Amino acid sequence: MVNKNTKILVFGLLVLLGAALLGYGAFFHSTTVSAQQDGQPVLLAKSETALIKDASVSGVKRDESGKIKQTYEVGEKPPETCST
Amino acid sequence: MVDKSKAGRFISKIIGWRMWIQAAFLVVWLDPAGLRLHTMCSPVFHCYACPLAMFACPIGVIAQFGALHVFPFIAVGLLITVGALFGTLICGWACPFGFLQDLTAKVPTPKFDLPKFTGYLRYVVLIVTVLAVPYFFGEEHPLFVCRVCPAGALEAAVPTMAGQAIAGEDIAWPSVLKLTILVLFLIAIFFIRRPWCRLLCPLGAIFSLFNRVSAFFLRFDTDKCTHCEKCHKLCEYGIEPEKTPNDLRCIRCLECTKCSPNALNLGSIFENSKGGDTDNH
Repeated sequence: MVNKNTKILVFGLLVLLGAALLGYGAFFHSTTVSAQQDGQPVLLAKSETALIKDASVSGVKRDESGKIKQTYEVGEKPPETCST
Repeated sequence: MVDKSKAGRFISKIIGWRMWIQAAFLVVWLDPAGLRLHTMCSPVFHCYACPLAMFACPIGVIAQFGALHVFPFIAVGLLITVGALFGTLICGWACPFGFLQDLTAKVPTPKFDLPKFTGYLRYVVLIVTVLAVPYFFGEEHPLFVCRVCPAGALEAAVPTMAGQAIAGEDIAWPSVLKLTILVLFLIAIFFIRRPWCRLLCPLGAIFSLFNRVSAFFLRFDTDKCTHCEKCHKLCEYGIEPEKTPNDLRCIRCLECTKCSPNALNLGSIFENSKGGDTDNH
């Protein structure tokens, strides 16, 4: 049987890892997304929270070259429903 | 011998209220204030395309981010934190899709049990439809998790189609596969207890991996056990709690803690225990 201290250590490490990932994703992580603004290509640095919102309505797609593209123009409203 | 823990005493007081607690959580997930906080994930299975969804679904986010080849720090971080704290207590007490299945299980129809091995299908679903297919084939693939998910079909596609029909617009039908899975799911929930959770749920598969290391766990006291096997009858999911109290298939409904010798109860890693207990940690 694993002793109590080991259990607390494993639990503590998992919570620390989870909180670190959560904090990094919420406050520091961003992804470069290419979009169109007035017909011109622009690059946007989207935070992970913004990317979650866009991904949930199919507002971003990965093209064949591996770039992430926004499916709607900058300034326009994102799609209202998920494509799936 | 282990006395009933603080967590155990608290749970034995509220266990009769489990459905009401699930209903209270449902109110939270249904976004009554219309906040639509889709920039963050919830730790439960509730489709973000549902017109009544407060948060994003963590499984949908992991799959969508996989299709984009971006690591989902927020979703993974949230699942690790919540999993380390509660394990599958979330499934038994907070998940709205589990609650729906618990409600339909109240309908007096014959209930069938599932073979033990079927519990491992969830890991196949997790690896194939949430991780591999999105990463290698993108979100257009018919086996992308959101394209086969019955929660998405029931909570998002059905209300959307109803809205389109009422507005006289063309109806955007989901795929035949998704509709077939939805129909099978709607039949299964009347004859099998929590078929989605036990057979296919990728979120439950993730949380179950934490059952053996989570802060709250099911504690079995060997000294108190009289081998009456009452816990076998109390468990509706075919688990033998005294053999594997933190079984991967357990949703921690905690019904087994009603056993009269009090051999099973909810424990936490922060409590002192002397010999005689087995928690499979």
